[in-house]
Amino acid sequence: MASATKPQSTASGVFFEGETARNTRGLLRIIILCTIAATAVASRLFSVIRFESIIHEFDPWFNFRATKYLVQNGFYDFWDWFDDRTWHPLGRVTGGTLYPGLMVTSGAIWHALRAISLPVDIRNICVLLAPGFSGLTAFASYLLTSELSDSPSAGLLAAIFMGIAPGYISRSVAGSYDNEAIAIFLLVFTFYLWIKAVKEGSVMWGAFAALFYGYMVSAWGGYVFITNLLPLHAFVLICMGRFSPRLYVSYTTWYALGTLASMQIPFVGFLPIRSSEHMSALGVFGLLQLVGFTDYIRQQLPSKQFQLLLRTLVLVIFVVAFGLLVLLTVSGTIAPWTGRFYSLWDTGYAKIHIPIIASVSEHQPTAWPAFFFDLNMLIWLFPAGVYMCFRSLKDEQVFVVIYAVLASYFAGVMVRLMLTLTPVVCIAAAMALSQILDTFLVAGEPAEPIEAPSTKTNDAKDKTVPGIPEVLRSTKGPLVGIYSYMSKAMITGAVTCYLLLFVMHCTWVTSNAYSSPSVVLASRLPDGSQHIIDDYREAYYWLRQNTKPDAKVMSWWDYGYQIGGMADRPTLVDNNTWNNTHIATVGKAMSSREEVSYPIMRQHEVDYVLVVFGGLLGYSGDDINKFLWMIRIAEGIWPDEVKERDFFTSRGEYRVDDEAPPAMKNSLMYKMSYYNFDKLFPAGQAQDRVRGSRLPAQGPELSTVEEAFTSENWIVRIYKVKDLDNLGRSHQDAGAFEKGNKKKKAGKRKGARVLRVD
Amino acid sequence: MRLLLPWALLGSAVFSLADPSANAAQDSQKTVDSAAAPPQHFRNINLVRNINLEKSYARETINVVVENIDSKPQSEYYFPFERGQIKRIGGLEAKDKKQPERTGFTAEIAALDQTSATEYYKITFPAALKPNEQITLSITYVSLQSLDPLPAKIEQSDKQYVRHGFSAYAPSAYTTLKQKTKLKLPTTDVPDAVKLAASLNAEGKEDPQRQGTTFTYGPYGELPAGAVEEVSVRYEFTKPLTHSTRLERDIEVSHWGGNIAFEERHWLTNRAAELKNQFSRVIHQQLQYYNPPTSALKELKFPLAVGSMDPYFTDDIGNVSTSRFRSNAREANLELKPRYPLFGKWNYSFRVGWNADLAKYLRGAGGDKFVLKVPFFEGPKQAEGVAYEKVITRVILPEGSTNVEYTTSLPLVDESVTKHYTFMDTAGRTMLELTALNVVDDQRDIQLVISYDYPFAARFRKPISIFAAVAAVFAITAVVRSLDVSIGRKTKSS
Repeated sequence: MASATKPQSTASGVFFEGETARNTRGLLRIIILCTIAATAVASRLFSVIRFESIIHEFDPWFNFRATKYLVQNGFYDFWDWFDDRTWHPLGRVTGGTLYPGLMVTSGAIWHALRAISLPVDIRNICVLLAPGFSGLTAFASYLLTSELSDSPSAGLLAAIFMGIAPGYISRSVAGSYDNEAIAIFLLVFTFYLWIKAVKEGSVMWGAFAALFYGYMVSAWGGYVFITNLLPLHAFVLICMGRFSPRLYVSYTTWYALGTLASMQIPFVGFLPIRSSEHMSALGVFGLLQLVGFTDYIRQQLPSKQFQLLLRTLVLVIFVVAFGLLVLLTVSGTIAPWTGRFYSLWDTGYAKIHIPIIASVSEHQPTAWPAFFFDLNMLIWLFPAGVYMCFRSLKDEQVFVVIYAVLASYFAGVMVRLMLTLTPVVCIAAAMALSQILDTFLVAGEPAEPIEAPSTKTNDAKDKTVPGIPEVLRSTKGPLVGIYSYMSKAMITGAVTCYLLLFVMHCTWVTSNAYSSPSVVLASRLPDGSQHIIDDYREAYYWLRQNTKPDAKVMSWWDYGYQIGGMADRPTLVDNNTWNNTHIATVGKAMSSREEVSYPIMRQHEVDYVLVVFGGLLGYSGDDINKFLWMIRIAEGIWPDEVKERDFFTSRGEYRVDDEAPPAMKNSLMYKMSYYNFDKLFPAGQAQDRVRGSRLPAQGPELSTVEEAFTSENWIVRIYKVKDLDNLGRSHQDAGAFEKGNKKKKAGKRKGARVLRVD
Repeated sequence: MRLLLPWALLGSAVFSLADPSANAAQDSQKTVDSAAAPPQHFRNINLVRNINLEKSYARETINVVVENIDSKPQSEYYFPFERGQIKRIGGLEAKDKKQPERTGFTAEIAALDQTSATEYYKITFPAALKPNEQITLSITYVSLQSLDPLPAKIEQSDKQYVRHGFSAYAPSAYTTLKQKTKLKLPTTDVPDAVKLAASLNAEGKEDPQRQGTTFTYGPYGELPAGAVEEVSVRYEFTKPLTHSTRLERDIEVSHWGGNIAFEERHWLTNRAAELKNQFSRVIHQQLQYYNPPTSALKELKFPLAVGSMDPYFTDDIGNVSTSRFRSNAREANLELKPRYPLFGKWNYSFRVGWNADLAKYLRGAGGDKFVLKVPFFEGPKQAEGVAYEKVITRVILPEGSTNVEYTTSLPLVDESVTKHYTFMDTAGRTMLELTALNVVDDQRDIQLVISYDYPFAARFRKPISIFAAVAAVFAITAVVRSLDVSIGRKTKSS
């Protein structure tokens, strides 16, 4: 931006005057935007360069698996996909319970590339989809901001902010193949189209907005945010007395087409007309008709009769509509609010009522430092930007204000919703910063015609003339301009420093916090070289290669998608978490004694049990640390059989050492985690590095399952569920028999002692 | 016989359902039609068989003096195998022992009686053997999957013993006057070697004779064609029985880049004894300090050609970080560790690839003609040997190359020339696909020589087609932009 304005005074002025200037600026703009897009893509490639082209985390593994299914079996099979390899024995109607936008997008790219004979591996497309779309997001935020601000630099600033803001990078690094990867682009672009539609009152832009809204619905559950934000915008505009045919045309076009589009997604289906979350859009649609009608009537009737008519009409309609809504909700025609929605208003709600939602870390309320961590200087430019919107409060600025308020609230409630806040923060910050730059980064002195009225206003200010007609007070002060080169240099220098710091911060955060695939753990060897701890894949690949293709694997739901994706084996529960009872069943099997767990596992045809154990390496994200959630979720269904209290010591501590309560020590999870672990250490010195406690000298013994595989660093342990005993004994008896006489003698001695006491 | 035939066919159909890969291997082996049973044109005067069991497969060498007892010159010598065994026999070749440089011997599977329990290889001499003349044949072959661990299940730290079953009488389709069989074992720890009655022995000695790691069965006197005396030896072999069910190899030639890219996809399994109890990481880690011999496959070593570069080692779920590449002016060794040690009956599939300078493999043969010389397959080189059931080598030549011809000394069962589309090809690259069965790692030096024509103009096909495509996009954009698609008349006021 600086380079665009600076050479004005030089000899090359030919390029900056008239038609040529327009072309030059356009070209510069395109080059800058391309560079920004390239930066956005490049800054997300840390993990590919450091590790490899790999799908990250948990959910992306499912999306990846679904994409592979789509590519292999075609669209219609994908649409009708019933997946019998998850949620054994229930299965999952996957085709009808997912948002297909992401998979279809990568599938389309895959086919398009093959059409020009570029047979790229589908994995690489999936890995690089998010960075690619973040380049588009940067472009979309350029468009959106350009609509909102007159400043030539605001759009470009918004684009670069959007390109490198960690709040967005957190969900769009290479390999993070999740719905958000494309959804944020769609969100911003839909907003742009909406603003465009409202500004121009154009059916075409409204239809485009509806189209992209439909795409958004197919891609992410967060589409509800748009579904509520656009009606709210329209509603606020009506309340501000800004009803116009432009608004009417754009909203009705968007709503009618967008709702139809959204209903094409099987997972959404009839929700847009039945669930409470979508009612505001429908309500505003109705309201607009009424307002439009009233507007028409007003032109026909004298004002007094009109006033009366209006009042009665508003009252009657409000009462009828509200009554209808309540009635339909109570009767069940309109689905009541879902639990996830309640937890948006009451952060404690989930903890009490839905432990499965509360157990996910990204559903926790946001900590204050997270805002600075994810947005750095943008977070303090953000209010300034919102204030700028108030200064010229046109329809589109109203939108930014509403968006800002809503997104700020939601981002405070749930960590993952930081994602929806980031675009508006980038836009507002860009508007604020561009204002500063436009004012201070001018080479020449302010021109005379601007100077004259400014002195006038200064006089006027002193006198505070009351008679001046003004729309808003903030729009009163005309632009003055800066004369002192000193202050120009200082401000410009300061802003440059801030921007550089911002870039450094973003790079640092991206590199350190958001670029770990979490499937692979990296550590440093003493000589500084990188050592990769690849236990997950070691174990998953072992499962994939050396077990029956239909061997059922039981594990906690966190690993379900990874097992499905990497080990390619059926699982009992996975990250879809659609059936709480099934998850609680697994929780019960894990937290109960072997005698209780074994029948559960037999009933579910479990062949292998997989646990994650970090005690050897000090890997804190292991199953013993997640164990309390398993207990809680199981307790929710079987309060009599699993009790959280039993797993704490009498002093309320969660322990794994000698003082661990019997319920803990006898639980299958505890036994599987620590089985044979003590043999790695000298007698009695087994140490758990995560909990930092010394384990009992006597390790746990297993009778119904046997160790099948343990990965190199013991992170993943796989146990095989034993078949029924050939002689019909219980496994405990069989185990005792195998050990021989020792056990019998012990029993006898015990008997004798009891006799003596008697 | 006629009645039985359909049943036999039905049986084979059922068999193919049960075990498609094994049967496919048999079916695809090259066969030639011949008479019902080999005619008794020959007599084996003296036969010495050497069975080398030092690796994880058996390598047999039969040196036999053959005499034509027919009245006419004969050139087709039949060599029998039991049905089922023949599809595990690889690399069978015959030579004239006295004149090793003499070429022209061919060996093919002869499709004889479908219902017979015996199948034959037909060896054709370069020149027919006149009546009463003799020739000293040297027949070598490897027998895959011929070692079976016994006991079939062992503890993780146990020694492994394998059993090799064979006939003390060498297989022959002709009467044999004198013969003996020598076994070369890798160890002196041989708990079992089936003893034969001394009466069978021509010299009346104890049978077998033992000398260090060598066992000798025989000599035996005159035996009719097809005589069998089943014996077996069981010996210690605490090494992995590495078996590759399939190896796919791609060689991609790029004249533009001056690069040749190799990629091998392996499907390995360890045929060693299964673990009696399940795998225990504790025992594995404790044993690692002493590093005793084990039946687990822990490491694979690929000695690549000097100058190989950019190696990669991945499997179905991504990069495997446990590899090491040592490359200097003298050697380029790729050392791979599978994600987990492969114990008995465990599988592992992976892919490795590397690049090399094309100039080392390709030379121009005047005009548009080029000659490419590459190893048919590389694969790991292990002390205990690796056996491959099926090797498929695909050579992808540059787009527009024609007139592809190849030579290799490895017996092939299939060949085809097709098109391969990648990286914005318009006409497709010429791809030569060759398949070989039952190959062992000793043969990894066998070269494949390919000659092809690559016209100079073909090099510019891609740049021109891409330029044309981009130009077309611009032209279409220009046309579309100039169209007026607005509805209604243009008005100045909004």
